[in-house]
Amino acid sequence: MKQLLFLCVLFGFLSWNVISSEDTLAEKNYSEVEVKDGGIVVGNVKYMSDLTTLSLNLYADWELPETAKTATEKLIVSTINNGLKYAIVSITDITHGKKKAIPTIHPIIDQQRNTFIPHVTAILAGTTIDILNGDGELHTVHTRTIKNQPFNLGTTYKQRISKIFEYPETIKLTCDLHKKSYAWIVVLDNPYFDITDKNGYFEICDIPPGTYKFQVWHEELGKLEKEVKINPKEISNIEFIYSQY
Amino acid sequence: MKHTALLNKVGLWSATAAASAALVIGIAPITAKALNIPTAVTEEGKNTYKKYCSPCHGEEGKGDGPLARSMLPKPRDFTRGAYKFRTTPSGSLPTDEDMYRTISYGVPNSTMIPWDILTEEQRTSVIPVLKSFSEAFEVRKPEAPVDVGLEIRPTEKTVADGKKIYEEKLECWKCHGVEGRGDGPSAAEQEDDFGFPIKPFDFTTGKFKGGNSSRDVYLRFTTGLNGAPMPSFAKELTDEQRWCLTHYVMSLIKPEETCK
Repeated sequence: MKQLLFLCVLFGFLSWNVISSEDTLAEKNYSEVEVKDGGIVVGNVKYMSDLTTLSLNLYADWELPETAKTATEKLIVSTINNGLKYAIVSITDITHGKKKAIPTIHPIIDQQRNTFIPHVTAILAGTTIDILNGDGELHTVHTRTIKNQPFNLGTTYKQRISKIFEYPETIKLTCDLHKKSYAWIVVLDNPYFDITDKNGYFEICDIPPGTYKFQVWHEELGKLEKEVKINPKEISNIEFIYSQY
Repeated sequence: MKHTALLNKVGLWSATAAASAALVIGIAPITAKALNIPTAVTEEGKNTYKKYCSPCHGEEGKGDGPLARSMLPKPRDFTRGAYKFRTTPSGSLPTDEDMYRTISYGVPNSTMIPWDILTEEQRTSVIPVLKSFSEAFEVRKPEAPVDVGLEIRPTEKTVADGKKIYEEKLECWKCHGVEGRGDGPSAAEQEDDFGFPIKPFDFTTGKFKGGNSSRDVYLRFTTGLNGAPMPSFAKELTDEQRWCLTHYVMSLIKPEETCK
């Protein structure tokens, strides 16, 4: 009986060792607290440029192969307010704040007509993404990551691949069969981020009072930073402006 | 009676020891024991790397050694931890044995020669040095090697089935060409993870980079080639279909091309 007990204890100890070694993935520089009097940041990301040059179509009279006609989503600027779509605004130096809520319903990236939809996805570290193939032909999904496990898989019609992203990284997702199509997955280590809509607007709420560094990232235009003071229960307005000149 | 009790006790203790040993072996990499691969970077490893590997792969493993400029395919950049020839699933890091295999056998059709001129100790000592170049080995662990199982017998039917997969289901011809010469319509635009142009493999030459046995070819369809556009079809095809594709691809070898 004693020996049996010893065996159980030994097994328990060994399996606990294995489990606890996997726990190292947890983020260490961010602590979750209850935010009662948090502030809100709403703002706009703009791209000031000569819009006529953007809309100029160099290939207007050319007969292009079908692959070249795929719509490019690199730089989408609203004609109403110069708002920039698909820019990611985040707080980079926050050490404590609201709970990290990992979505139970997986965000989806779909490949339709040789294009990844949506083009940019921002997620919290630990989120699982479902990658679908909505086309009647073969695609591949290929990432080149270092910390997260990279993958390169072939997918056929209606196939769904679930992948978890554990570490903060900016990841380019490509299809090697259709070189023009790619998407970005930006994995962040805290829940204070937002992605701009078609008019360049974003909103981040429940921020504990203090002064923080806000950063905006765009695949084509790079990064911008700004320090903003957050007051309790107040709405702050910030504007990021990328300039062509 | 006492004797039996003693025997029982000994039996139980040996069972305990065996169970713990099994658990420990399950956790520790088996390959490290069989090959005696050092776990930490040694002075011998550093010297061997500097003398034999760094002229092409660079002192810091970035694939930018003084000889790299004139080479295509380019020497591997070890900083990403992307190794092509593995027994582990797509995206995973290689096992120590996989790295040892590539060092010992080389990569045909490239400037990586088989380093069997070095002693086994020298070859194994380089492995921790290669790992030390990439952050990936600190964060991730290699996954368990994929199960290859028993090969199905190559027949006319398996070759025909493989042809169907090659031409219709996966459309391998888009990169590798209808005759398998690596001249498909998408061949010209392929590039690897490091931005260098890469040519799809020409099956007619028969010099498979990851090994010439059917098991090796089967493994390439299952694990893919990390760092290159070749994906894994482990989820896409059944085990049997991958063997059929292996048989078809190997039937594309042209004896006159292999002599070149």
